[in-house]
Amino acid sequence: MDGLCCGPGYSSPSEAVRAPREKLLYTIAIYTGTGIQKPDYLATVDVDPESQNYSQVIHRLEMPGIGDELHHMGWNACSSCHGDEKMTRKYLLVPGVRSNNIYVIDTANNPHAPSLHKVVDGAKIKSKTNLSGPHTVHCLGSEIIISFLGDAKGEAPGGYLHLNKEFEIVGRWENSMGDIPFSYDFWYQPRHNVMVSSEWAAPNTFMPGFDLEEVGHLKYGRRLHIWDFEKKKPIETMYLGEDGLIPLEVKFMHDPNSTHGFCGAALSANVIHFWKSKNGKWEWEKIIDIDNEPHPDWPIPIPGVMSALLVSMDDKYLYINNWLHGDMRQYNISDPHNPVLTGQIWMGGLLGKAPIVNGVKVAGGPQMYQLSLDGKRMYVTTSLFSTWDNQFYPEIRTDGGVMVMIDCDVENGGMKINKDFILDFGKEPNGPSRCHESRYPGGDCTSDIWL
Amino acid sequence: MNKITIANRNNAIFKVKGTKPLLSELRSQGLDLPYGCQYGGCITCAAKLINGEVDQRSQVALNNRQINNGYVILCVARAKTDCTFDIGVESHDKLYRNPFIDPLDPHELKSNIATLKDNN
Repeated sequence: MDGLCCGPGYSSPSEAVRAPREKLLYTIAIYTGTGIQKPDYLATVDVDPESQNYSQVIHRLEMPGIGDELHHMGWNACSSCHGDEKMTRKYLLVPGVRSNNIYVIDTANNPHAPSLHKVVDGAKIKSKTNLSGPHTVHCLGSEIIISFLGDAKGEAPGGYLHLNKEFEIVGRWENSMGDIPFSYDFWYQPRHNVMVSSEWAAPNTFMPGFDLEEVGHLKYGRRLHIWDFEKKKPIETMYLGEDGLIPLEVKFMHDPNSTHGFCGAALSANVIHFWKSKNGKWEWEKIIDIDNEPHPDWPIPIPGVMSALLVSMDDKYLYINNWLHGDMRQYNISDPHNPVLTGQIWMGGLLGKAPIVNGVKVAGGPQMYQLSLDGKRMYVTTSLFSTWDNQFYPEIRTDGGVMVMIDCDVENGGMKINKDFILDFGKEPNGPSRCHESRYPGGDCTSDIWL
Repeated sequence: MNKITIANRNNAIFKVKGTKPLLSELRSQGLDLPYGCQYGGCITCAAKLINGEVDQRSQVALNNRQINNGYVILCVARAKTDCTFDIGVESHDKLYRNPFIDPLDPHELKSNIATLKDNN
């Protein structure tokens, strides 16, 4: 029974859209890099408008030590093992980018108060697989793969850790990294035997912060990679050049028959659309190009920094953010070659268009977001990565992160900030923390993949 | 034995042998310090050296401007002499900078891509 607690997902994207409304969500919150000597934690947020605790953190699960920098996370199971009655969507796998530890968190025993089930030790991952800098978690049927951005010494390109369903280290997932220079995000589409991966940088490059000059020295990515998913090796590279500087989040459409997908190139602030053409060749094009914006204090116009991207479960809308500008946008992608801008909101950002949202000062800009399965509610957080936050939004150290909810019009298009929801992580009991990625117990728009 | 003084902790003094990196020597003596990767790659444990000399050749996180501003990656650095540090985020005033407003000169990049200053 997915949607209520846990379960093996949904039979199809259209069934997922009809799932019950989310009542809880989990988001990670960090103290790493903030000056507060406390562990990062997983926050449970009450998102049930009927509840007395609506729009509040109702539980905090602290990690065992400090300095992890929790970042992204993923479920042990999703719709890719729908029909396997032995599987349940029960555990969240939460990697620490800096510590290399993977925390396996039980969310089913008490969904309001998750508990730590197991730690996959970061040092053991290094010694067994020569990997560090974990990022994206996807289940793979009943097993799990996690992209890592570096080797044990933090040098690119990293690779993929394979865990079995007991969360034991199987080894490296991939048979070859080919000539891939960098790793970051990935998504797969089994009916087409394809995986696509993107490129950030080596952990030793991005973890200390962003030096613009290192882009010119080719220390940051500008390619997408097409993989033979069954053979576990890359077979084709799409060189995006200046249009695709720092290609971060990459998603296929949810329809398992589709070969269309999207990637947000963060520094170029472009959306790259890719697809398999009728003659079997992988093609790409730039479909959205966000102009840099002038700022009185900046010698050059500010790039958007499109750090994330999300496709609604019905594949009708694409959402993007511009972390430095401060806006979120909704595009109708019914024709994926010709997206139509249908909605936009402002929250925080350096352009000063919405410094305060629902009475709370927003340090940072829209950064990570999760959309409800029905596509109507989007929860947005403001922190990117501790060191990068400290460079662009130093006030986030004392203000903390913010979670905002956006009402999305799925019929006619449109976005509006919900007036009743605001969560100020600047007021956390141990001091200002920074929230990042969110997941719902019943599945969400960046977890579920269909075989 | 070298004497380590933490200026922004009321000049607290610790004695270190130099057999282990400063982070582990100081933490084992009760000093609460931030850290992350513990191999010299992530900057979370950076502290500012006010006096003294360290060996931090195995760090890979700092660019040359940060090194010239005195930053030390405690998780890999060892004291070569008596040292005085400021620690924690209070010492990070020059560690983080907006890379668009305040770009690096070629000799200020990380050592593996920096050019020599004389060549500029």
